[in-house]
Amino acid sequence: MTTVTAPPGGAPLQPRTRPSLLRRVWWSDSLAGWAFISPTVLLIGLFGLVPVVWAFVLSFQHNDLISPGSWVGLQNYRKLLNDPQFTNSVRNTIVYTLIFVPVCVIGALLVAAALNRRIRGMAFYRVAVFIPVVTSTVATATMFGWLLDPDYGLVNVALNKVGIASQGFFRDPHEALLSIVLMTVWGWLGFGVIIYMAALQSVSADLLEAAAMDGCTRWRAFWRVEVPLLAPATLFLVIWLTINALQLFDEIFVTTKGGPVGSTTVVVYYLYMQAFQYFNGGYASAIAYVLFLAILVVTAIQLAVGRRFSHGQR
Amino acid sequence: MASRPRFVAALAVGVVAALSLAACTGSGSTPAATQSGGVVNITLSHGYTDVEAKAVTAQVASWNATHPDIQVKLVFNGGNDGALQKTLAGMAAGSMPDIAYEYGSSMAALAGRPQVVDLTAKVSDPSFKWDDFYSFERDAATSNGKVYGVPALVDNLALVYNKKLFDAAGVSYPTNSWTWDDFRAAAKKLTNASVKQYGWAYVADGSEDTTWRWLAMLWQEGGSLLSSDGTKSAFNSPAGLKATQLLHDMAVTDKSVYLDQGNGNYLNLFNSGKIAMLWTGPWDLSSINSDVNYGTQILPAAAGVHSSIAGPDNWMVFNNGTARERAAWTFLTWLTSAQTHGTFTLATGDLPTRASETKLDTYTSYLAKYPGDAVFVLNLSNVTTARPNTKTYPQISQAIGSQMQGVLIGQTSPQDALNSAAQQADSALAAGP
Amino acid sequence: MSAAPLVGPLPEEDFAGRRARRWPSPWHFLLMPLSLLMLTPLVWMLITAVSTPDEARQFPPALPKSIQWSNFADVWTGSPFGHWLINTAIVSTVVVMSNLVLCSLAGYAFARVRFRGSGLAFMLLLTTLMVPFQVVLIPTLLIVKSFGLIDHLGALIVPNLVTAFGVFMMRQFFVALPPDLEEAARIDGASRLGVFLKILVPLMGPPLATLAILTFLSIWNDFLWPLVAIQSPENMTMQLGLSTFQGAHQTDWTLLMAATLMSQLPVIVLFLAGQRVFVRSIASSGIK
Repeated sequence: MTTVTAPPGGAPLQPRTRPSLLRRVWWSDSLAGWAFISPTVLLIGLFGLVPVVWAFVLSFQHNDLISPGSWVGLQNYRKLLNDPQFTNSVRNTIVYTLIFVPVCVIGALLVAAALNRRIRGMAFYRVAVFIPVVTSTVATATMFGWLLDPDYGLVNVALNKVGIASQGFFRDPHEALLSIVLMTVWGWLGFGVIIYMAALQSVSADLLEAAAMDGCTRWRAFWRVEVPLLAPATLFLVIWLTINALQLFDEIFVTTKGGPVGSTTVVVYYLYMQAFQYFNGGYASAIAYVLFLAILVVTAIQLAVGRRFSHGQR
Repeated sequence: MASRPRFVAALAVGVVAALSLAACTGSGSTPAATQSGGVVNITLSHGYTDVEAKAVTAQVASWNATHPDIQVKLVFNGGNDGALQKTLAGMAAGSMPDIAYEYGSSMAALAGRPQVVDLTAKVSDPSFKWDDFYSFERDAATSNGKVYGVPALVDNLALVYNKKLFDAAGVSYPTNSWTWDDFRAAAKKLTNASVKQYGWAYVADGSEDTTWRWLAMLWQEGGSLLSSDGTKSAFNSPAGLKATQLLHDMAVTDKSVYLDQGNGNYLNLFNSGKIAMLWTGPWDLSSINSDVNYGTQILPAAAGVHSSIAGPDNWMVFNNGTARERAAWTFLTWLTSAQTHGTFTLATGDLPTRASETKLDTYTSYLAKYPGDAVFVLNLSNVTTARPNTKTYPQISQAIGSQMQGVLIGQTSPQDALNSAAQQADSALAAGP
Repeated sequence: MSAAPLVGPLPEEDFAGRRARRWPSPWHFLLMPLSLLMLTPLVWMLITAVSTPDEARQFPPALPKSIQWSNFADVWTGSPFGHWLINTAIVSTVVVMSNLVLCSLAGYAFARVRFRGSGLAFMLLLTTLMVPFQVVLIPTLLIVKSFGLIDHLGALIVPNLVTAFGVFMMRQFFVALPPDLEEAARIDGASRLGVFLKILVPLMGPPLATLAILTFLSIWNDFLWPLVAIQSPENMTMQLGLSTFQGAHQTDWTLLMAATLMSQLPVIVLFLAGQRVFVRSIASSGIK
């Protein structure tokens, strides 16, 4: 029996002898899908999920990471609710993330657009923008420590010359977190730039030509044609940067160590203090799981919102 | 069809797998000691770099050459800051060295664990001469009445000053009878805002580095950190207030203190002639540039008591079976003996850990080579108290350090700082280990 | 077609790719200061690397009186730098190749193949990114130990053969591809794998290059995991090795900076080589 069924997607019909194409597609899709992801699922399951579940179990214990712990049920979680230092760290983390992510994403977009050209010396510029990503956290922190030194740093010297008073930067509880934002945006910009540059390559030249022919200015074409096409990359970047911002640790560890007076203590830094300085392994795990839930919720929301914007592409 | 791409894909996967396998089974030796035919192999994990690394490597090599039955392998622990984390991970994974260099502050975390060897009986052997170690070192190696470490390094805080800056400001050099008032006045005179010169530098990063200098001042005033039973804080006292007030007066009122962020910049500034006085230890002496003419003096005193504070680190022994434990102890006894350690200090400029080292033949050459160390050795007798080896100490330290940071930047008043710190310390103590 | 091109190829070129003689592009005024800002640490590192220890221990930092190129040689002779380089190169190369294959396969499947449980599997993968490493450090160590990999380079390779980050990234790039590409081929009877390999992968040059560089970078710069997984000096990787230059109280900044600079060279070279892939000729990127 010859059946001709329209394949999904609306491509032109081809006269073929093909029984029940849809059903075949479904089964071979399932097999193919699982075949493609099985090594990944296996490896990440083993080295990613199992430790995560393990640590979850730990959060219900009073444990110092070495000796067998004792079960305390939800006590660790209850303690969190009454811990002012934890609340402080949550506030700091949220403030940091809300500033860092938009600044980084928009900055990366603009810089990537600027770098997506053919002018002389472009290779140099691209490498220059990428260098901060390669630079180790220690080197970055040392450099920013010097540049932002309240007494001798170049930034204050420059500010003084234009009549602005010296700022405290890392030493000032009101400015320390912002200084960290500055340092991390500097370090992450290049990452966003290369993601966007890769994404910009897939923007079809035809669309741009068409827009030009319609009399679209460069600026409008950028925002109305290219940026929407970058939605998947933007979604990826927003989610990845948010996940990282909420887990900020290294930069705090090598600069302010949570100070001054707790103004840069973020959740993961507080977790580190609890686990490796105070040896409250169970409590630290509980903190990690509250953070995990927060990240999960935020990411799910971002994915849902993102799907709405790019549903045309699915 | 499509066999070619499939083949390529399979080949790629195969290559990756093969390389992984090769990498897995290729390089890589088991560092854990093994026993083979009468030879016991032990590992010693350390964070030494530079001069100290060279010295310890030479010493281990000479031991291995003369002791074919006990062979020692040196393992770098990634830097002492990561030592505790690495040790804990090693304990969890069941692969530990035989001897490890640990910060004194790690004692509380490690003492009493089944993997850590109790050395009390071993050190009480008269031939070991346990009392030859300074008393505060012995305290730092003891927890709950049991000894778990052998002193590996000792230091203390003393006053280091830039002679040229003193001459330029017309201030006479610090003496061993200086009071806090003398110190404060000198710092004020040595501060010159127009050239951004400071009289004193204080590490204000809120960590133990901030706390322990303050502790020296507390002890000088006769104060104590904890109550005698160790269950409540005792530093929110007139003594504590005096110490905190000095910090406030100098940093906020006189503005004579450079607040270091914890990145060690104070030393660079000292080298550039921007800071006149430091409270620091012998470890910084080798980083002072040759063109800086510096002097050392014991800390200024409150009420005539020039107490200082020390940060001893320990060698700790781990349980890897009786044979290795015995071998490790034999080696450690030799390594920490007066003779061997004396040679080590001659090469590195570290301070003697045993009092008898000052009687060695090599001691005079040691002093000639490291003239700056003389005061530090003397200062060892000014260290009468050690920080408590309790699991809650890190939280107490954090509470005090953070509040002192607030005082130094002028955000918190001294009494408020003490109140907050005491409150946090008490709740940490009440929660228990 | 004479309309001035807007974004993409610029005044310097028309669509045939011919270079026009023009004034230097005004973009230089923006890009040059930005680049200099980004390069500041590299410049500082270079200055420190060619200074004497005394010069490096001053603040504000001063220019060295004479260039100490010997610092670079000292790093090679005074430490097993070459060894660290080889170890890290082995681990990085294997991990990158493995990730390129596995992440693109999985990313494609999650993006384009409808199969049961794909949504759940994807979310589960993402969740592994949401827990800080410090917390899972010890459980991961115990798992790796059960495979007998402790103190082998395998401990650094096997847990990283595929990363959730890479899968997520590749998925997003596959999502961005127009669906009609493969639908046409599938109607013609091509299998999923065939479509994947012959049609989609060739279009994924820039994302694959990006994945390669970022994965390489994360392995190259990893410190905490090698610290706890590796014990013998002969198995040390680059960051672990660099830490031997940093003492508890003293750091020889000149040697450390020289070593750090040399350690970052491979990544920069890789990026330089790869960044060409980022910009392909406009003529080939269209879907005709």
